[in-house]
Amino acid sequence: MEKIISIKNLNYTYPDSKKPAINNLTVDIYKNEWLSIVGKNGSGKSTLTKLIDGLIDADSGTVEIDGQEINEENIWEVRTKIGIVFQNPDHQFVGATVEDDVAFGLENQGMPREQMVKEVDHALELVGMHDFKKRDPQTLSGGQKQRVAIAGVLATKPRIIIMDESTSMLDPEGRRTVLNLIQNLRQQQDLTIISITHDISETELSQRIVVLNDGQIVRDDIPKNIYNIGTNLSKFGLEEPFSDELMSTLRDSLELPEGYLNEEELMKQLWKLRSNM
Amino acid sequence: MNKLIMGRYLPGDSLIYQLDPRGKFLLTFYFVGIVFLANNVASYVFLMAFVLFAVYLSKINFGFFIKGLRPIFWLILFTVLLQLFFTPSTHPIWHWGFLTLSKEGMVIASYIFVRFVLIIFISTLLTLTTTPIEISDSIESILKPLKKVNFPVTQVALMLSIALRFVPLLVDETTKIMDAQRARGVDFGEGGLIKRIKSFVPILIPLFVSSFSIAYDLAIAMESRGYKDGEGRSKYRVLKWSRRDNITVLVMLAVTIILLFIRSY
Repeated sequence: MEKIISIKNLNYTYPDSKKPAINNLTVDIYKNEWLSIVGKNGSGKSTLTKLIDGLIDADSGTVEIDGQEINEENIWEVRTKIGIVFQNPDHQFVGATVEDDVAFGLENQGMPREQMVKEVDHALELVGMHDFKKRDPQTLSGGQKQRVAIAGVLATKPRIIIMDESTSMLDPEGRRTVLNLIQNLRQQQDLTIISITHDISETELSQRIVVLNDGQIVRDDIPKNIYNIGTNLSKFGLEEPFSDELMSTLRDSLELPEGYLNEEELMKQLWKLRSNM
Repeated sequence: MNKLIMGRYLPGDSLIYQLDPRGKFLLTFYFVGIVFLANNVASYVFLMAFVLFAVYLSKINFGFFIKGLRPIFWLILFTVLLQLFFTPSTHPIWHWGFLTLSKEGMVIASYIFVRFVLIIFISTLLTLTTTPIEISDSIESILKPLKKVNFPVTQVALMLSIALRFVPLLVDETTKIMDAQRARGVDFGEGGLIKRIKSFVPILIPLFVSSFSIAYDLAIAMESRGYKDGEGRSKYRVLKWSRRDNITVLVMLAVTIILLFIRSY
């Protein structure tokens, strides 16, 4: 597998704090993978995002994006390869209408207008928001707003999309649409997805989970193995997935297989029990 | 609050909507200027006819224009009454103490009234048919020559459009904060003036703090999308000056000439 992001011995401490926010962190992220970074508040998740995009400068260590180490000269070029969708949909809208907002990143690149019009239309079609082109963002639902934010990021043709808790303010319906959309886009557009969350249930679609605690990686594994940690997850301030919690309660009275089952698998197991009776 | 600042624009489609906002913006100011040239009944009737014609062309319900008068109703009433009773005259119709009612006073009062109506109607026409963003684009385009003296026109225009964009959000924020304060027992509608003003301090401070945090988030988001310093940017929204805008300018010119003619008549 080809590396797209390579982080080595990264350190960062906020100016007004003694404790490092990122503590000697080393991790590789591969092309086209969906990586989830989980951890409780203050574990360094959002700091890591800002370091990857060069929005803050590391104290020491290196961040390499697509073979290029971030430095003062290439920062703007590197940034075009990364798109970030932030947590609060209302706090990232610049444009007065949906199309204006999608065009913002393209305007920054100085793209000629005729080309911009095409790219904006294309990006809005990819997220299924083309009909809302002329709308005021204020009139959209949370999920729709995040889809527009994704379109704004897609328009600039990034290689990597970082979802910085982008679904945490959405209702379950909006969350599902956004996550499925990201999954489809990852496959169609050959994107690398980094999703940052403190909700373990949002990691089901990802291929790899990194658990952060106090600015360090404490676990780096495929989802199944991470979910298997079970109650130990709460040590890192995370809740176990619902199916796991249910299973450990059910084990008191029922015989269930060892290891992690997702909701569907668990449901099948439960049906089996019923038919055995 | 929301209605006051943002709610003026009325989505629609008619000739007036299609005019270039720069033209509309400048011609509106120009018209407000020439209203003061009118000096007799005929000239006021002429200008009124022109404004009503423009209102008709906009295809907007006349009620919206009457509503435009409402916020300054008291100002109009006060000015008209002042003119009505305080215009000095040698042939008063009615006289009591310092109040004088005369024919001249009545004429001037009605002129003032019509002048107010003309100005309000034409500016309401502008704000009803032009989105705030179009107005901010017009201002940018009109201020463009100032670039030569290093005035940051594009940055100011972006600032203006972001400010407009965040007004409804801050209104929401204010409502939220007020609800939170109410939940803890603050009554905003009670007490004397001083007490009421004082009760607004606990709203302003959280609002101030949260607008800073929004600004911080937005700045990070803008930077991550490649916004540097406003230089070398292209523009997605373009204003197009077309033949109908030329015609509108000519019509306005004709109005001016006719007005000057009636005035000296």
